[in-house]
Amino acid sequence: MAEIFKVHIPFLDDVKEKGLKDALVAKTDESVERLTAGMNIEAVRSMLRGDPVTRPNPRVKPHADGFWLHMRPTYFNKKVMPWYPTFRLGFLAVYFLVVETITGVILMFWYTPSTLVAYENMLNIMGNVPLGLMLRDLHKIGAEAMVAIVLLHMLRTYVTGSYKKPRQFTWHTGVWLLLFTLFLSFSGYLLPWDQLSLWAVTIGASMSEAAPPPVVGRIVDVLVRGGPGFGDIGLLRFYLGHVLLLPILLFIALGIHYYKVIIHGHSLPPGVEADGEDTARKVPMGVRDYFMPDVMTKELYWIALWTFIIIFAVTVGNLYHAPLEPHADPQITPLHTTAPWYFLWLQGMLKLGDKLIWGIIAPTVLLGFAFVLSYLEVGPSRRYIRRRLGMSFAALTVAVFAILSYMGTPYYAVSSSPDQEVMAVLAPQTHPGPLRGTPAEELVVGEYSTHAVASVPTAGLLELMELYEEELVKFGDDLPDSEGLMIIEDWQVGLKKITLRVLWNGGERAADLAVYLHADSNYED
Amino acid sequence: MTWRVVVGTLLVVATMIIVAFTAINEPARMADFDAGFEARSIEVGAALFESNCMSCHGITGQGIPGVAPALNSADLFNGTRLTEVGWTGALEDYVRLTVAGGRPLASTGTSYPQRMPTWSQEYGGPLRIDQVENLVDFVMNYGLTYAAGTGAETAAAAPAAEGIGANLTDPALPAGDAARGEQLTMDLGCVGCHVTATVGPAWLADSHPSGTGIGTRAGESVTASDYAGEATNAVEYLRESIVNPNVYLSTGFTAGVMPAIYADSLTAQDVADIIAYLETLK
Amino acid sequence: MTVKETAGPQIAPMTRREFLYYVWAASMAIFTAEFTGLMIWFIYPRFREGEFGGKIRVTIANFPSVDTGPKDFSAGRFWISNLGEQSLNDPRQSADYIIQPGLKVLYKVCVHLGCLYKWVPTNDRFECPCHGSKYLANGTRIDGPATRNLDTFEFVFADASGNVIAEVSTVGEGRLEEAGALEIPSNAAEIVVDTGQRIDGARNTRDGGGL
Repeated sequence: MAEIFKVHIPFLDDVKEKGLKDALVAKTDESVERLTAGMNIEAVRSMLRGDPVTRPNPRVKPHADGFWLHMRPTYFNKKVMPWYPTFRLGFLAVYFLVVETITGVILMFWYTPSTLVAYENMLNIMGNVPLGLMLRDLHKIGAEAMVAIVLLHMLRTYVTGSYKKPRQFTWHTGVWLLLFTLFLSFSGYLLPWDQLSLWAVTIGASMSEAAPPPVVGRIVDVLVRGGPGFGDIGLLRFYLGHVLLLPILLFIALGIHYYKVIIHGHSLPPGVEADGEDTARKVPMGVRDYFMPDVMTKELYWIALWTFIIIFAVTVGNLYHAPLEPHADPQITPLHTTAPWYFLWLQGMLKLGDKLIWGIIAPTVLLGFAFVLSYLEVGPSRRYIRRRLGMSFAALTVAVFAILSYMGTPYYAVSSSPDQEVMAVLAPQTHPGPLRGTPAEELVVGEYSTHAVASVPTAGLLELMELYEEELVKFGDDLPDSEGLMIIEDWQVGLKKITLRVLWNGGERAADLAVYLHADSNYED
Repeated sequence: MTWRVVVGTLLVVATMIIVAFTAINEPARMADFDAGFEARSIEVGAALFESNCMSCHGITGQGIPGVAPALNSADLFNGTRLTEVGWTGALEDYVRLTVAGGRPLASTGTSYPQRMPTWSQEYGGPLRIDQVENLVDFVMNYGLTYAAGTGAETAAAAPAAEGIGANLTDPALPAGDAARGEQLTMDLGCVGCHVTATVGPAWLADSHPSGTGIGTRAGESVTASDYAGEATNAVEYLRESIVNPNVYLSTGFTAGVMPAIYADSLTAQDVADIIAYLETLK
Repeated sequence: MTVKETAGPQIAPMTRREFLYYVWAASMAIFTAEFTGLMIWFIYPRFREGEFGGKIRVTIANFPSVDTGPKDFSAGRFWISNLGEQSLNDPRQSADYIIQPGLKVLYKVCVHLGCLYKWVPTNDRFECPCHGSKYLANGTRIDGPATRNLDTFEFVFADASGNVIAEVSTVGEGRLEEAGALEIPSNAAEIVVDTGQRIDGARNTRDGGGL
């Protein structure tokens, strides 16, 4: 009977054989070896000490037998490790992707994609949830950084010719990754449901309406927006795209992209190999930088550095904060609404002409060209001198995009009447601006005119009136014989009413703008 | 290589310290942020009030007699009005429900014969729920004026120095300033019934079925066969409509709707200015 | 210099670099712990006043009268019982528990398995429809599979200006410890119930009530 209840614990056999202490040490050693997928305590310590490698080399076993390091190479070519040629942009892009995923999932705890509560959720995250502001700012700064970095990475890859044979498909998957990154950023833009979200995304989504033929365009537009304008349905669709569909596509494409990078090996700096040669796969013994521990150390250091930078920037450094404008209003489009910076080029293009040609056909052609660029073999050399045409093309592309982006800003070729423009400098509709940013004590009750700028009582008012005068002079041709008035009244306890009145033609014409400002509203921050 | 380990450690420790420092300051920062956005809500509310509520409730919320009650008044915040209407809950909830739902039926027993419009989109009005909240915050902010008795009692528009009286010819009207008259029609709330709403005859030509404005119609009505008042010309007709509105009613309108207070509350100059303005609306 | 993999770890002297790696790893571990702790604080539900989980105010006008049965407050998910002479001398009451006169704020959720018990006036007791646990108006269990008296919320009395004038405290010791009742002070205007702070009822497992 007793036999049935006998339990065999191998560890106890060890204890009997070696004694408790030795058995524990041996057990720990075995556990470490299992955890690292092949390196026991001795191997780990030897690695951390920087000892020369033994044969057989235990440091490659985590790569061969482990899951997490399986795709990562056991060693890199020393020539691709410094700043040049990669600027570590690929690594940085993945780093920011991880930051976005972590901060994004955490923020999901407090966000519901409904037009009734999305904006209030943002206020809640920023004002009622501890560290909510920090996480939101990290998420936004990570998004902007990621778009910038993948664009720079693309530029770098082009310039060093790393897209050439045999890495054409890697480039191709990279363009998909760029597309997914841009759409992730764009879809996330809508979620706060403030004025900037709604209108920037409305402009962007409207371009889908121009897709030919008209019936397809309209169907696509309605599918994307969930109705004639963005509302609950559209917000939910963008949310699902942002947290589910696009991340899944991105991770799949990233897997393929990175796998291809490893299979071919990181391309060496141009000029190191002969033209048309690709020896990156085989790294000679003398130029190996091993992952364990050297590259791993470098990567961890890089992660520590960038984490510090972004956290510093959004907290004590006060260098960056995600904006939150007033609640989305489907009835009012603010003057000077802009697209996010990475879409300004598209806005600029749209100002050139027809929505169909410049909003659909031209970007599609550009994108199509990017997808097949690596397959358009011009010459086998990656050296800069032998690729003068390619280098010029790159420089030209950068210049054209810069110019188009400038054209996409609201100040170029889109303006309202001059009196509105003047008032919009002082009290813009898309961000607080100088008037709201002036501390409440400096806005003394009274009536002030640009004809008597020097007689204002406070420094803050002086700055504002000088700016006012400057703007009126700028528009002097359209507003002859002008005067700018600023009337400040006490309206409620803590609340002031500021009326801007622009008079021109000697007082014959006038335009008014009323701004209400509360002492506590903290626009200076 | 070792330097990376050292700097890496320092960076991680620095990050830890920064995060801890931020976390410790969070309660204060959050309170500040909340106050900031509450203030911004009041600002938005003020702008909404200007475009939606001022024509009936007055520019400074002082109310317009015969049109709408005062919001900028101590009795709203010290509980008097709530007791009058029999509301036992919180003041803020009362304000919210009033803004959102309006008054579907004109309040009986009050001098406000015209109903308050419904504002919230939940009940078919034009404003979103967050905009209703902004208005509630703005109205509640009037309460600060009366907190701990710091503010003065704000009465509704004070009675004029001397009312013009009900006589149509005595005192004689001074020269009228149409611009001031136009402003008066807004301040006094006449526009609440006579321009966009249909409580009283429309003044503007394209709002009236005859296609003519009040300036033209005054002259026609005074000579109509069914005219029952004492005016002998258009100016006297308009004056009678203001100071003695129930003597003669335009077709389709009933007695007792237009406030009968203007004989006492408007001066001769006020009436002259208003008439001058009305005469410009042909 | 071959290393025998099966011979067990050799003790080599630690170098500075190795030590620094361990320090770095420790710092990363501490940072992870700090961040995890802060994230738990981040995702912890936040309660504003007026919501369940925060503080709920009840004015004196809404209190139940003495010994007339408890009053229901669904927003706060509690009953308020006003205990007087009749409740103190209730024959069903087990002698193990200290009963005081005054107000008690009882959590509506049965301490057995989470259903909402009802007040049954004809039987002058609370009865839970799920498994039949029964309690007196002061929260003492008198029958059923529940293993303790009803849970209560912390509350304070406040006067008209909002100052706290009395706080509820616990009575009894050890397993018999639970919240006492609190008499209504003469200048009380309202009670403020903190639905985020719950006090467990005392242990009560005997048939008919008692320890």
